[in-house]
Amino acid sequence: MGVDRWFLIASTLLAAVAGVRGVLALRHGNKSHWTVWWMIGVFLCQMGYLAVRGEMRGACPLRSIAEISVYLAWSLTLFYLLVGPVYRISLLGVFTAPVVVIFQGLALLPGKLDPSPERIINTTVWGETHSAMSVLAYGALALAAVAGVMFLVLDRQLKEQHLKGGLFRNLPPVRELLVSLERLLWLGMVLLTVGIVAGILMPHETDGGWKHVFVAAGVWGGYVALMVVKRVRGITGRKFALGAVALFVFSLGVFAFV
Amino acid sequence: MELVCLGLNHKTAPVEVRERFAVGNTKLGEASQNLLEMAGVPEGVVISTCNRTEFYLAAESAPAALGKLEHCLAEKVHGHEEPFYRYEKADAARHLCKVVSGLDSMLLGETEIFGQVKQAYHAAHAAGTTGPVLNRLFQKVFSVGKKVRTQTSIQEGSTSIGNVAVELAEKIFGHLKDSEVMVLGAGEMSRLTAQALVSRGAKSVIVTNRTHDRAVELAAEMNGRAVRFDDWLGVLKDVDVVISSTGAPHTIIHKEEVESVRRARKYRPLFLIDIAVPRDIDHRVGEIEEVYLYDIDALEQLAGQAKSRRLQQIIECEKIIEAELGKLVT
Repeated sequence: MGVDRWFLIASTLLAAVAGVRGVLALRHGNKSHWTVWWMIGVFLCQMGYLAVRGEMRGACPLRSIAEISVYLAWSLTLFYLLVGPVYRISLLGVFTAPVVVIFQGLALLPGKLDPSPERIINTTVWGETHSAMSVLAYGALALAAVAGVMFLVLDRQLKEQHLKGGLFRNLPPVRELLVSLERLLWLGMVLLTVGIVAGILMPHETDGGWKHVFVAAGVWGGYVALMVVKRVRGITGRKFALGAVALFVFSLGVFAFV
Repeated sequence: MELVCLGLNHKTAPVEVRERFAVGNTKLGEASQNLLEMAGVPEGVVISTCNRTEFYLAAESAPAALGKLEHCLAEKVHGHEEPFYRYEKADAARHLCKVVSGLDSMLLGETEIFGQVKQAYHAAHAAGTTGPVLNRLFQKVFSVGKKVRTQTSIQEGSTSIGNVAVELAEKIFGHLKDSEVMVLGAGEMSRLTAQALVSRGAKSVIVTNRTHDRAVELAAEMNGRAVRFDDWLGVLKDVDVVISSTGAPHTIIHKEEVESVRRARKYRPLFLIDIAVPRDIDHRVGEIEEVYLYDIDALEQLAGQAKSRRLQQIIECEKIIEAELGKLVT
């Protein structure tokens, strides 16, 4: 087994520990102060994986579903580490860790991560920019979806007046979650815009390449529509959060099937 | 040296007795000096809050010191039942630990008492009335108080309707400095709830009442503004929290009215607190997505749950106190 896989396994295990310890702390009515440290460990292992895998590929490792999945998990972790402390979004790590485990777990399924990946020879600046920026964008959009799920959980608790337990006590306020969600969507959209522009400018040898860009543009259009409605007309927090989650889940199809 | 405590509180003395023993914050040092003279002891601290006055002494002979002190204080309790409780040695230290931890407070687990005791101790220390016994005791007691609060959930949750409302408002809006509050009906309950929100930084308060003069009066009290009762719907689009307690026999806020301002509000979250009986707000208003509606029963239930959670924590708190007192004795 290659070093890249070991890094990935270590990273996935650390994310699982972060999630499980976070949930256990919540069941005892507290929040774990160690989540961010576990997630830093996750991030360092992901960096190790990317360095080894990048060396093997000779380019940004984004050529298979498994590699894209791991890169997405890395991007999600990166944004969590950048955004979590700045916005002080309590429990974001507890909600992020399982998503990281799922993405990386998919890559670790037998036969998904090629142990001897083909070395990439013909790379272009636009092609690399498109891949890297698009997946970075999806990292931000994934974190927005995570914030959306947190909002939906809190909204349900407040509406149904089920206010007991560590989860309710430790979730950030509704308004802060919605503000963070909106900022993350803006960030994701800016990065996605750069990714799509680079996708248009990169050389396309097959129709499949264009199809990919068109679908990505469609996803981008969906996010633009959501943000315009939010800004101009206004939208309930629940619909906004559901929109962010639904669009992200839909956008995963761009990578999986197109 | 023996440690002694003589005190009276909300459980042992009515307010007309407690007020005779009350000492203002600025007079605490002076009161501690008087205590030394009255009891003829080398060390003494006077603690005084709205619910208690307690005298802590370090004396060569506990019975003698207590006798002198009670003799001096007898005149103040003339005509009333014996209001004092007395603790000696470890019992006095245990009692002070409970006081500092909020276990002996009227509002179980309240945190204000910690600061009040600290203030009393600092005043006595500054007045030169503390010595090795009381210094060691109070330092230990403060660390016990901190431990109790951090290692148990004795202070968690709100136990009054006003505080539950504040806690929920903060869960919805975070810092209340950007939140506007509208009060419908200028009754006592809405005043107390609005005051609780203002004390936590609510940006502004708008008061409306059928009797406009009463609305103006309450608005002035809270540095807010009053609007005519017929105009409350026009204000609804700007506010984040509505406290309703009108005493009207029929519904005041209907679903259709709230729905009519949703677009103007851009579907922002709206927290409605209905503390009126009969209820002022149609329960169907709570079906609107961005509206969080809580009536008096819901708020009382939440306060009750917090109270019972705190009661369950008493045993845990006492275990910590006993363990720490053990260390103090050794």
